[in-house]
Amino acid sequence: MNFSLSLFIPETLTLIFSAIVFFMTLFKKETIEKTLHPFMIFCALVLAAGSFYSIRFHGTLFYDSYKVDLLSQGFKFILSIAFLLTVLFSEKPISIGQARRVEYFLFLLSSTLGMMMIVSSVNLLMLYLALELSSYSLYLLSALRQDSRTAEASVKYIIFGAAASGVMLWGFSLITGLSGTISLFEIAKNIPTLILEPIFLVGLLFASFAFLFKLSGFPAHFWAPDVYESAATPVTNFIATASKAAAVAILIRIFMVMGVPPKFVTILGVLAFISMTLGNCVALVQQDVKRLLAYSSIAQAGYILVGLLSGSAEGYSSGFFYAFAYVLMNAGAFLAVILVAQALDHDNPQISHFDGLAERSPFLSLLLLLSLLSLAGIPPLVGFTGKWILFSAAMDKGHWFLVLWGVINSVVSLFYYLTIVKHAYLEKPKNTAPIILNFTTRVLGLALFCALVFLGIFPNTFIRFAQQAISASGLL
Amino acid sequence: MTFPILSSILLAPVIGLFAILLTPRKYETLIRLIGLVAAAITLVLSIRLCFLFNAQDPAFQFVENIEWIKSYGINYSNAVDGLNISMILLTSIVIFCGVLVSWTITFRVKDFFANMLFLVSGVFGVFMTTNLFFFFLFYEIAVIPMYLLIVIWGSTNKQYAAMKLTLYLLLGSALMFAGFLYMYSLPGGHTFDLVALKQNVSFSPEIQKILFLGLFLGFGVLAACFPFHVWSPDGHVAAPTAASMLHAGVLMKLGAYGILRVAVYLLPQGAHYWAPTIAVLSLCNIVYGAMVATQQKDLKFIIGYSSVSHMGIVLLGIATMTPIGFNGAIFQMFSHGLMTALFFACVGWIYDGCHTRMLDELGGLSKKAPVISTFFIIAGLCGLGLPGMGSFVAELLVTIAAVSTYPIIGIISILALLITAYYVLSAVQKAFYGPFNHHHEHFTDINFFQFIPRAILVGCLIFFGVFPQIFIQWISVSTRALLGV
Repeated sequence: MNFSLSLFIPETLTLIFSAIVFFMTLFKKETIEKTLHPFMIFCALVLAAGSFYSIRFHGTLFYDSYKVDLLSQGFKFILSIAFLLTVLFSEKPISIGQARRVEYFLFLLSSTLGMMMIVSSVNLLMLYLALELSSYSLYLLSALRQDSRTAEASVKYIIFGAAASGVMLWGFSLITGLSGTISLFEIAKNIPTLILEPIFLVGLLFASFAFLFKLSGFPAHFWAPDVYESAATPVTNFIATASKAAAVAILIRIFMVMGVPPKFVTILGVLAFISMTLGNCVALVQQDVKRLLAYSSIAQAGYILVGLLSGSAEGYSSGFFYAFAYVLMNAGAFLAVILVAQALDHDNPQISHFDGLAERSPFLSLLLLLSLLSLAGIPPLVGFTGKWILFSAAMDKGHWFLVLWGVINSVVSLFYYLTIVKHAYLEKPKNTAPIILNFTTRVLGLALFCALVFLGIFPNTFIRFAQQAISASGLL
Repeated sequence: MTFPILSSILLAPVIGLFAILLTPRKYETLIRLIGLVAAAITLVLSIRLCFLFNAQDPAFQFVENIEWIKSYGINYSNAVDGLNISMILLTSIVIFCGVLVSWTITFRVKDFFANMLFLVSGVFGVFMTTNLFFFFLFYEIAVIPMYLLIVIWGSTNKQYAAMKLTLYLLLGSALMFAGFLYMYSLPGGHTFDLVALKQNVSFSPEIQKILFLGLFLGFGVLAACFPFHVWSPDGHVAAPTAASMLHAGVLMKLGAYGILRVAVYLLPQGAHYWAPTIAVLSLCNIVYGAMVATQQKDLKFIIGYSSVSHMGIVLLGIATMTPIGFNGAIFQMFSHGLMTALFFACVGWIYDGCHTRMLDELGGLSKKAPVISTFFIIAGLCGLGLPGMGSFVAELLVTIAAVSTYPIIGIISILALLITAYYVLSAVQKAFYGPFNHHHEHFTDINFFQFIPRAILVGCLIFFGVFPQIFIQWISVSTRALLGV
């Protein structure tokens, strides 16, 4: 085995940082209180730089069970960005007590490590380990909240999550039993014969169930509203961005390896249809903003599935593009939620708490407006361009009904996004105290603002990158 | 490289928008001035464009083409021919007057002008682009700021109207979106370029029928085609003055323009197949809009329903599928744009002064404010098709074409003009003549500064009414080319 550490840079960095943070738990809280957050920002920046540096590396590790290519490295970069954003959001998370800050960052790091390993895994066992590492960290993260709703999210999350893992393992065992191997590439070689076996389809479906669970797509969506609502907001942001990106990555990888048999496309199409409809319809009546964003993420999972089930290079590359767009626009929305929650000193802001945000902080409400419109797919923002290419890939394969339904759903979704906007711009605030943004938040907001607009208008470079990533993985 | 005049028209409001965003909100006059300068630049450039335009050439002129997203066949490409040159001119006239009329806005000035410029850059984009991706992009850019304009600065049931308008228009655009992507996915397609689609894709008659229906429904919502017009009167009434001017004046024309530019251009057989249906629907527009307008008490609702009725004339012109009908439709789009802008500019002034638009509560205003009354009456006379006004020629062309193609529908549409005359004249009579309502003692006539935008609109209406051949000359070569005759 030719082990080259340079291929493993982002993961190694994450490991080292986790070890350091782990030792930090030994110190008294007061001594590290001041240095912890700046140190974490430093770690996140180094991690992002490391991921960016290693973006063109390629090769395999650990007896061909771990593949480093443009696809995996691209997603690792997206994950490191999502991690950086979450760290920047966590200067003073209101519902995570001072005593638990170190653990909070430790589990953020370990979860990021798990997700980075997910996107590179090309072996069923490795994939399972990586998934569990990231999931268990997320279960713990969602339990860290310190007010009245401490463990609610975590208990729900862990029960549903464990069930999903079980189903996935069952699916893996069926696939392994039929093909006699756990390596995705070996399985890919046998696809022409395997595809004829109905039980293979069942295995694939069971395995996909767990990935849908991570993506919060129907029928594995039910955890999302509760967990989003009762986890601390920065944790919700992490689940909504990083975890979703990892889920898209693994779906792309699995679909590319296994192909998407016609029957499977039909089933996925139905799931996407229900996901979109259910997510958007239920979101219409939500009052809790985090819960609303959870239902919107269920709907978004449907859009992503519509693109991925096209099974073409365009579909996968646009899925890649949309994953990045999704991280950016969700982060923008959550930044506003976090700041409103901080001003309110309560971690579950309702829509009515956004009243008069435009007067309290014009810039923040503009960012919220852009992020929500981008989620709804309004040009010239990145969500629009992402949706355009996702849907054109699906249309190319003749899924005109899903596309039409998807666009109509976007219109429905605009209703609840605009409701928040209306509250921010139109209603009179009960609390007129302006929300002061500190320097970091200002820069961060401006960066998100520019990214949303710039990537929406000039997406060519990134689309080309995504296409290269898909073709470089050499599976199509 | 030649001077990119079209991109300059498009970029002037965009740059103005960023300049406004960077200006601190306390410098309100500076913000207004930036808006005015941006609008003035577009106006000057569009007038220049009209002089440079070669009306004898049916091909696209002033073509600008930049590769944008190569793998999806998306180019940033702008061009002008007879179909859109008048629309660009109309947009720049209306935005220039709109900025002047909104000089009196004092609430959140910065946000208002930013939204106006954003909206108008979307409108310019739709009118000049020849790529479906950018067509859709600009189309939605034109719709979204309208929501904010109505919801923040509007009146009368504004939240309901704004949400209704936005959802209706975006539902229409959802159909467009699916239609565009479907054309992209056809064999030979894989491009969003209009010309390339026309050349490379052979649309079979069945596909043309279905696609044309989808696109027509999509565009028809914005063109206020019966029965999808219900958003438009509510939206016009609720919007602030300048937004109503832009909306009824320009935005509704995007729908009719889209039908011609995209649906008829790419799917001529589909258009012929559905033309009789469109004719019937447009007759509903004309008659139903006029009938409802007779029953309204609110001046803005009268204008809103008269817009529905007048857009019916545009659609009827398109439905004839003849060069004369198309010329009439485009001329009607242009003169109706100017006319409604003038209507709303007058009603806006009256509402600001009297705080009511109800006919019962107005009355005898011409004694107190002769100038604004004159402007309103001119718009009204134009609305009922008085010779010498732009819309007279337009309606004449459409009815000539309609009577020869669909005799019964054509004749009914002529009779409907009588209803128009009735509601316009009775509104004028109630609001401006009769006993003066002494609640409005403090109401003053417009000052010279506010006189200018309304005078520009009247000037254009009369100019093109007296010299219609200038206008017809611009468009007739292109409409013949569009029909392939």
